[in-house]
Amino acid sequence: MKLLSNYIKEMKIAARGFYFYIEIVIAVIIVSILLFAISEESVSREKEFLFYEAEQELYDYIMDPYFKDGRLVRKESVGFKVKAMDIEVVDQETGEIISHHFDENTIAAETIEQYDTKTGKLDKTIYKVNSYEDMLHLSYSEQSFGAVVKYELDENYKIIDSYKYYIQGYETERFMNILYVLYNENPEVLKEYSDKQNVRVLGDMEKLNNRESMVPIFLTFLGSIMGIVIVVAYLFLDKNERVIKSFAVTPASINSYLFSKIMVILTTVTISSVIITIPVMGTKPDYLQLLLFLYMSTFAMSAIGLFLSSFFDNMTNAFGALFGVVLILLLPMFSYFIPSFDPLWLRFFPTYSMLQGYKTILLGGIELRYVLLYSFIYLIGGIIIFALANVRLRKTLTV
Amino acid sequence: MISVKNLSHSYNNDGILAINNISFDVAKGETFGFLGPSGSGKSTTQGILTGLLKQQTGKVSVAGYDTMKVQNERFNKIGVSFEQSNVYSKLTARENLKFYAKLFDVPTRDPDELIRLVGLEGKEKVRAGEFSKGMKHRLTFARSMINNPELWFLDEPTTGLDPTIAATIKDIIRERTASGTTCFLTTHNMYIADELCDRVAFIIDGEIVLIDTPKKLKLQYGQKLAEIEYFKDGKLITETLKTIDNADKSRIADIIKNYDVQTMHTKEATLEEIFIQVTGRGLA
Repeated sequence: MKLLSNYIKEMKIAARGFYFYIEIVIAVIIVSILLFAISEESVSREKEFLFYEAEQELYDYIMDPYFKDGRLVRKESVGFKVKAMDIEVVDQETGEIISHHFDENTIAAETIEQYDTKTGKLDKTIYKVNSYEDMLHLSYSEQSFGAVVKYELDENYKIIDSYKYYIQGYETERFMNILYVLYNENPEVLKEYSDKQNVRVLGDMEKLNNRESMVPIFLTFLGSIMGIVIVVAYLFLDKNERVIKSFAVTPASINSYLFSKIMVILTTVTISSVIITIPVMGTKPDYLQLLLFLYMSTFAMSAIGLFLSSFFDNMTNAFGALFGVVLILLLPMFSYFIPSFDPLWLRFFPTYSMLQGYKTILLGGIELRYVLLYSFIYLIGGIIIFALANVRLRKTLTV
Repeated sequence: MISVKNLSHSYNNDGILAINNISFDVAKGETFGFLGPSGSGKSTTQGILTGLLKQQTGKVSVAGYDTMKVQNERFNKIGVSFEQSNVYSKLTARENLKFYAKLFDVPTRDPDELIRLVGLEGKEKVRAGEFSKGMKHRLTFARSMINNPELWFLDEPTTGLDPTIAATIKDIIRERTASGTTCFLTTHNMYIADELCDRVAFIIDGEIVLIDTPKKLKLQYGQKLAEIEYFKDGKLITETLKTIDNADKSRIADIIKNYDVQTMHTKEATLEEIFIQVTGRGLA
């Protein structure tokens, strides 16, 4: 009953302040951006500059089937204005360095779009140029991938193809290895590389679309990270008004006082999460799972906020630490967007499992065990941190 | 109602004592004034008695509860009015009192009745953030009565209030103490202590230097004086003379006989004068 009175009081105060509305306004802005500015399918901006070293008849013979089945589509030719530049090309096999000088020029290129036949999605845009020099000049000018593709016939009229890649120099070894094995038909080379491969199962092939894949980020940000900041703000607002002292001389426990703050955060994140999730995801996710995961993770993160606040006297002093914690908690978002960046240490961040958890739920709850396991971990972790915060705040709040 | 034995407190556990080995008792129904200048240890003592500060040493019993043990139910019997007002500025006066009423496990008073009692009628629906400092102070004072406390801690209850409102507050205190409420009054205002307290304790530098009734203190430390204003050679002269000293008595008679006396009245020593006399320090 006292907890309920506290909660009602906190909700009245929150509804008459601006922190409550900040999160809701942010949620409305986010959902507007998601619905009106981000397309469901991602638009590929990948481009390649290729020079085909082949007889026209042979080139047509090889490429025509691709144009016919729609995998490749010819677009209007374009002219690239490129500046004068000096380039040094290092041959990875021989170590030979070849210097080139190019004058300012306009290079004509035939534009070919490559599509995924299953999804109909644009994979990349190929710019076919007329010479090796044009390919080199353009790929370095545009800082994009370039290659010389050579088709020829042997004495038995079998097509021999070879690929020579021109990259910028900053690419990872992994990327270079992929290029090396991509069109390599030499069994020894393929065996050597396949033996070294660390195969990771990525799970079900079902994926969130471009727009949907942004939702876990915002649920994590609004539900959890904002939870930390806002619970600290609410606490210091009370400390400024000295109302904690008057509360401390009533029979109600500090526990119920602190937990009512978390309940306000849970209410706010429910509203903001619903605002974002329903318009984007519709009925696809299991909302019970979503709410369970949202409440448990937000409870844990709000408890962290309360614990943090126990080390500071006011919002100004706490701001630096809060900012640092929020930045650290944002790190797993890099892994979310760049799957190849997935170090083990990052998995210990609570926001890592949150992102994965939300993603799983939004996909339709195929990994219920993961959601339940992490909900339980957040609950236990949250209770421990909340208890620690309670002990510390008992000593510091009323002084 | 309050029993304090050998209580000491150090804020940083560095040997510097905010209060040093103090002992006193407050009987049920008594109004006990705890008097001293800023930094003397008044607030520290009240902080420990109200549970806002953790007790470190000594033995303290408040309303029958040992303060070393955490027993929140003791607050059902206690009311605390703080020197600095502390109400929710985003809640109305009524909402503030209603909220606090729900935190107690005992029958509570009607918020509107308390609002009227402290002269805030008509302001029930106004948010406390829109109140003046004095109005907030009155609301804080009203809140301290919400649970009909048996033991009432009042910290500077009339500070910052205009004389009319201060008189109302003093009347409320008198009324409640007359009906049996024990009152622990912390103040540096000797006049309000003199008016309201059955006994007073003087605290300075964390030590209690004296405890007694204001009347006995005046008898013990005060001097019976008479202040006379009279005209001599066209000038107004003021003399303060002891009414128990033979020479001064003759002088009083002489003035009355020979001069045009404008005013004459006896004068008791104030608690403030006694405090200065006992401690050698003022109350500022």
